[in-house]
Amino acid sequence: MFQLIDTKKTAIEGRMNCFVRTVAIIWTVLFALPETSACAAGWRLSQAAAQAAQDTPHQDAQHQDTQVPAATATEQQAQPAQQTPPVSARKDASHENTEDGTPATVIDDRDAEGILGKNVYSAANEDMGRVVDVIVKRTGEVRAAVIDFGGFLGVGSRTIAVDWSALRFPTSGPMDHIILELTRDQVRLAPEYKPGEPLVVLGLGDVQPHPETPAPEH
Amino acid sequence: MQLVALGRAPPSPSRNSLHGLDWFVFFLADAQVGFGPLIAVYLTAEKWTQGDIGLVLTIGGLVALIGQMPGGALVDAARSERVVAAFAVIALAASAFMFAAWPVFAVVLAAKVLHSAASCILGPAIGAISLGLVGHAALGNRFGRNARFASLGAGFAALGMGTIGYLVSNRAVFFVTVALCVPTLLALRMIRAGEVDAERAHGGRAAPHKGHPEEPLWSLAHNRPLMIFAGGLMLFHLANAAMLPLTASVVTMRSSDSAAPLVAACILVPQVVVAALAPWVGRQSVRLGRRPLLLLGFGALSVRGALLALVSSPYTLVAVQVLDGISATVLAVLVPLIIADVTRGTGHFNLAQGAVGSAVGIGASLSPMIAGYTTDQYGSAVAFFGLAALATIGFVSVLLLMPETGKGPSGPVTEVLRKGATS
Repeated sequence: MFQLIDTKKTAIEGRMNCFVRTVAIIWTVLFALPETSACAAGWRLSQAAAQAAQDTPHQDAQHQDTQVPAATATEQQAQPAQQTPPVSARKDASHENTEDGTPATVIDDRDAEGILGKNVYSAANEDMGRVVDVIVKRTGEVRAAVIDFGGFLGVGSRTIAVDWSALRFPTSGPMDHIILELTRDQVRLAPEYKPGEPLVVLGLGDVQPHPETPAPEH
Repeated sequence: MQLVALGRAPPSPSRNSLHGLDWFVFFLADAQVGFGPLIAVYLTAEKWTQGDIGLVLTIGGLVALIGQMPGGALVDAARSERVVAAFAVIALAASAFMFAAWPVFAVVLAAKVLHSAASCILGPAIGAISLGLVGHAALGNRFGRNARFASLGAGFAALGMGTIGYLVSNRAVFFVTVALCVPTLLALRMIRAGEVDAERAHGGRAAPHKGHPEEPLWSLAHNRPLMIFAGGLMLFHLANAAMLPLTASVVTMRSSDSAAPLVAACILVPQVVVAALAPWVGRQSVRLGRRPLLLLGFGALSVRGALLALVSSPYTLVAVQVLDGISATVLAVLVPLIIADVTRGTGHFNLAQGAVGSAVGIGASLSPMIAGYTTDQYGSAVAFFGLAALATIGFVSVLLLMPETGKGPSGPVTEVLRKGATS
């Protein structure tokens, strides 16, 4: 009888021991995490900073578009949103910047918006997925948008790079409805976009030379 | 240990408890759908970069992998499986709420880790509650029922959440997931605490170990059938995990106008097959034994891989998914059943579930890498053939190495218990 109770006690102790260890492990996992996440967030911030640093010349050029005529939002409205600034304009921009400090421009939030995560539709209003990335060349020229196309509940989608000039942005209303001048049939067969490999950009390409390619360097 | 089992009253769970378990499994599968690949879509819409999404998913996957054994050990150590499961469901709800409310990096990472940890507990907990309620003799039928309700839940949720995501927003899906945790907890409450025998739920009483907590791990490592089974399952998931995404990707590529409905069908067809077949597989696991069914599951997977490589019409690709349903049914019923067989009387049923879960996790996370690389280099047909070859290796190793676990030396005892349960 005592023997039995004894073994039972050991068993319970064993279980408790096991339990305590398990809790300790889970504790470590849960509490190590905020730190990991903090690290990751830090890493993210530094990445974002690096990104911002890279973006600056491009942004300058963008200001300049509005700055040269007059720094008002209405002027900006007159400019088609998708037109990429000519590279030559950027040179002038940096000159002017040095003259009178850092210029700032107010752009109406209805006229410009972040593009990541926006829905893309075909001209026939078919769902073409979402913008997940934007490809920029060393010259600062926006070359392509990477869209996540097809699938259901996130299964079976394909990431495909499409020519920037094949995108049309809404001239009024919310920016959520971006039009891609390609059909589903053209997009579905395109090779997938893979970072770190030569880029296949699907688009109007040779058929119709896009306006920003022959930008004079000097 | 078996004599002790004979001395105890045979389990006689009430209808309420059994229905409670049905609905618990159903709603839990519902709630888990939102945490699938949809997370990536949601975070993309929230302006997350692909690199950050990948980082969060990878860390979540690693936690889910590392947490399997501690999760199982926790369930083994628990005095009430219901209470442990309830806490895990609450953690799941909290995680879904965090996803929906603050889609910023730190919160989403914490939510993903919380979800992974909760899943590590919920997986073994379902097996433990089932075993604690019905005992070994009726377990085959019980796991058949569990599989039916789980796939019904997942199927309905995939349809419902797909619709909500399309019509309302992806964020709404996570609020629905929070809401689904309420019926999950209510169903858990329906299971009567007194009927879930903790000792039975752990697969017997653990042998007292003398201050060496790692002893259970050694005893598992020396459990030859368990190790063979875990290895076989790793191969199965190495072949299986990438097959559906690869199929869906091929369907997206091949079909212009109806790709989304066809991919949805690729996901739903196996669920329908599981819901239809699972109770039958549960019954046959008692009649025929585990081995023939296990071979059927592995065989269906290799045939599926080979067919996917050969077939080109998107509609035929969907039809091939019936085979996915067959192997999914077999695995859903037999994995917990065989683990219960081979850990009978050890008291480490749930730790073993965790160990097998780790093996499955390793296979499932390596699978997309192998398939992705092969697809890039040689095309999807070669990738499908490669996966089929892996499945065939699994088939052969089960055929040569895996013993029958359902009718062993414990056969007569099982018979007595079965009579006890039916009378």
